[in-house]
Amino acid sequence: MSILNEIERDALTEIFNVGAGRAAQSLSEIVGDEVRLSVPSVEVLRSGAIDEQVLPRTRGRFATVSQNFDGPFDAEAVLLFTEDRALSIVRDMMGSQMSLDELAEFEREAMCELGNIILNACLSAMADMLEITLNSSLPQYLVSSPDDISARLASAQGDESYVLVLHIDLVIEKHQTDGHLIFLLSSSSLHALVEHVQRYLGKIGLG
Amino acid sequence: MSTAVVPRFRAEDVLDQLHGGLIMLDAGLHILLWNAWVARHSRVPADQALGARFEHVFDERVSPALLRAIDNTLGYGLPAVLSSALHRAPLPLYPDHGAAQAAGALAAPARMVQSVVLTPLDSPEGERLCLIQISDASNSVRREKMLQSHSDVLKRQVGTDGLTGIHNRRHFDEHYAQTLQRVGKTGGTLSLFMVDVDFFKQYNDHYGHGPGDQVLKRVAAALQGQLQRPGDLLARYGGEEFILLMEGLSPRQAAEVAEALRETVYALAEPHAKSLVAHRVTISVGVCTRAVQEGMDGRLLMSAADAALYRAKLGGRNKVVATD
Amino acid sequence: MASNDSGKTLLIVDDSKVSRMVIKANVLAVHPDWQVMEAGTGEEAIALVEQSVPDYCTMDINMPGMLGTDAAAQILQAHPSVRIAIFSANIQEAVQTRAQQLGALFVAKPVTEKSIGQALLHFRGPL
Repeated sequence: MSILNEIERDALTEIFNVGAGRAAQSLSEIVGDEVRLSVPSVEVLRSGAIDEQVLPRTRGRFATVSQNFDGPFDAEAVLLFTEDRALSIVRDMMGSQMSLDELAEFEREAMCELGNIILNACLSAMADMLEITLNSSLPQYLVSSPDDISARLASAQGDESYVLVLHIDLVIEKHQTDGHLIFLLSSSSLHALVEHVQRYLGKIGLG
Repeated sequence: MSTAVVPRFRAEDVLDQLHGGLIMLDAGLHILLWNAWVARHSRVPADQALGARFEHVFDERVSPALLRAIDNTLGYGLPAVLSSALHRAPLPLYPDHGAAQAAGALAAPARMVQSVVLTPLDSPEGERLCLIQISDASNSVRREKMLQSHSDVLKRQVGTDGLTGIHNRRHFDEHYAQTLQRVGKTGGTLSLFMVDVDFFKQYNDHYGHGPGDQVLKRVAAALQGQLQRPGDLLARYGGEEFILLMEGLSPRQAAEVAEALRETVYALAEPHAKSLVAHRVTISVGVCTRAVQEGMDGRLLMSAADAALYRAKLGGRNKVVATD
Repeated sequence: MASNDSGKTLLIVDDSKVSRMVIKANVLAVHPDWQVMEAGTGEEAIALVEQSVPDYCTMDINMPGMLGTDAAAQILQAHPSVRIAIFSANIQEAVQTRAQQLGALFVAKPVTEKSIGQALLHFRGPL
């Protein structure tokens, strides 16, 4: 089966940008300042291709927040930041007077909530625009090495698995940071997702 | 549970023994479950809570972020977390009295630091419900201190009035409680000023809400300019109401400060065609000054200031009434 | 449909082709006789407006190059008669306020029949 064509990718990018807008609004109400969140691009890769494209050759570890969701398709959604970016996000959310030690105390909780807000916003945008219902688990925070992540992605759904990769740009308190939002899906789930996107496009005369 | 297995305990007993809070809401935010932990820490008994609307069951305001999250969980069926790191205390829940009471009655203790999780639930009838799980997150003194002293965002969240940028009612209430406690121990006076913009409704009706908002901002700035000492506190208390707290003034000094407040707003010379007292925006001020005793009820000082404000209004507005 | 509402021109500005199509489809469903122009960036929109001034315009905010709100401000400076509806996923208060200050209507994405209805009302005024 084919991976997304240009119009389908455009539609998904739009959907995730609506989600990003909602997440940014929630975050800005928490932080008390403007937050910008955008999804410049969306692509579908085979899960094996993740290493080069998504996990840069960093020495550090990755902070991840994940939620499992199901509905017309199942997936694991994983928000990834490098660990030092995650700490600086927590600092931006909580206030710059805290030392790194102090921030670390709140890292897990604050990142869990950040991840939950972003993931839920994307899921709600999908639900609204594709007219579907999705159920989700609570967020889980995990700090892992790049190797652990590769292994996780590889084993996630078996051989025939795909990854929907979104690059995200986040600006809080005028500090820009970037991360990735990854959806791990089996090929049948990807197929179901694409079908829903095509249905959405069909409704507006583009499918 | 299957009918073949007769339960040897009741589910309600388990819920009431739970070391953590459980609240269940329906789509209309009516309370369907209120376990003993919540009743104890909110001081609202179950028979009062069940069936009541969530936003109205407490004496105090529930955080808007929590209400929005509940809305989302009910609307989209997605679980959510409100971390203590970013929200601190979304619900008006307090630690057990216990030791705190033994140390001497507090006018208003600080809220419990909370971690809140929302999960959607579908009832057997297919109705979507929201389960709220609350746990006490104040698990270390160090953590609690960090949250209190460092978190800019929490301070901003709980403390600031969106329109004028000064403190809001919530911040004032907390600060007032702490100040009463402190001054009660060391001794001294507190002066509470209640300020109300005269004929404000008429201003909005005549000039529009946009200009009305601008006037409130200018009045807030003018009042703020009169604050002298670091301990002085100004907050927006309501739509067109402001409140100030100052320590260590004599009744006469407080009256002078009140007059200065009135004068500074008068001097703004903001045109107000619909004012019946002057063709400009004015304020009425009521102030009450009292020596603080330990354990004193803060509400008495407030109602005395309020009564003074009322007399200022009756007395023609653009006026100060000072009392003790 | 009021007779003075026919044959209007609408400029749709959005970097997403899908978004442009959604807006176009929803508008043409109500006003099949309107002329629709499209632009993918704020700069393109300004250039198009110079050639031919539309009656109405929908504008996205986050696009490559200039911000949609800046493009809208420029267009309104030069041609204050154009009615603009800002359609955006960026729904924060600061942005909504900016839109209103410009005299434009702010509509949150996703684009739906209802939100298009709000834009149309802003364009033609109440029937």
